[in-house]
Amino acid sequence: MAAIQKENVARLIEFLEESRARKDDVTLNDVMGLAEVMARSMKDYIDAVQPAVTQELMEISDEICRMKQEIVQLRATDIKENRIPEAGRELDAIVEATESATHTIMEAAETIMSADPDDADTYQVVVQHKIMEIFEACAFQDITGQRISKVVGTLNYIDERVNSFVKRLRMDEVEDAPLEETAEEKRRRELILHGPQHEGEGVSQEDVDAMLEVFAQDDIDKLFG
Amino acid sequence: MALDLQMPVLVVDDYKTMIRIIRNLLKQLGFEDVDDAADGTEALEKMKQRKYGLVISDWNMEPMTGYELLKQVRADAGLCKTPFIMVTAESKTENVIAAKKAGVNNYIVKPFNAQTLKGKIDAVFSE
Repeated sequence: MAAIQKENVARLIEFLEESRARKDDVTLNDVMGLAEVMARSMKDYIDAVQPAVTQELMEISDEICRMKQEIVQLRATDIKENRIPEAGRELDAIVEATESATHTIMEAAETIMSADPDDADTYQVVVQHKIMEIFEACAFQDITGQRISKVVGTLNYIDERVNSFVKRLRMDEVEDAPLEETAEEKRRRELILHGPQHEGEGVSQEDVDAMLEVFAQDDIDKLFG
Repeated sequence: MALDLQMPVLVVDDYKTMIRIIRNLLKQLGFEDVDDAADGTEALEKMKQRKYGLVISDWNMEPMTGYELLKQVRADAGLCKTPFIMVTAESKTENVIAAKKAGVNNYIVKPFNAQTLKGKIDAVFSE
């Protein structure tokens, strides 16, 4: 019976010592690395005992190599360190631009509202000047549209990579683990916070008016058991 | 309950722009005395210090939402009669029912216009 070769044992010890020296949490990469070293170390020994097992071990080793390639293709570090922060900056810029434009438009409207229409000449100058400011402020829509396209591009990029990763690892055949409700999700559920609805999804003002008219307190109490 | 344009109105919203919009609309409708608060907690404090004739509140705010504010107002013997209009983007049926159950006087879905705001204020004061 073939023994485990000294060099393979040495490789395994070296790997374990390296991992221990890092003192970090064990990563998926570490586990895959260990499995790879183990598979190679045991090859000669198991080859002699049972060739079929060797074949299986080789397949496992190949699968591990393939998984490593898939993880590399996911470009998780690029997504985490570059693409998501950049998308966040774009969204911040959109909020700033819309706030600034809204402020300009409202200020112009308030100036027009408070201008004295009895002084026709001055009133006309004020109105024309403020209307120009409103037109100029509306240019924010072009810039924010471009920024939103960039964010959508990032979301599509992540979506493509994650989808491809899930498919290649055949994870789409596995049922998702149940998600634990976060404190924020609990708050949103208890305080009925759904946020704005899309066109046609929420109730309209007419629906609300009808509901408020129709629902007597007794009807509502019945709905709540 | 008669509509009095001199009565103080409290607008509660965490977006300054929305407060500004409602304040301007109320001004156009003839209301002169408009105060504001950034969330339910601040609104409740203000309501305990001053008697408001009408509260117009958003739903989604932190830390205290408009829904929680409404329930606290209705549970407070000194404040429970204050007319309360919810102005919100929360437009699910369960929101409207919960607000009605909690005692809201009217409910406006964002985005809205001056005519809707006027109509709902008139409706509240003609009850």
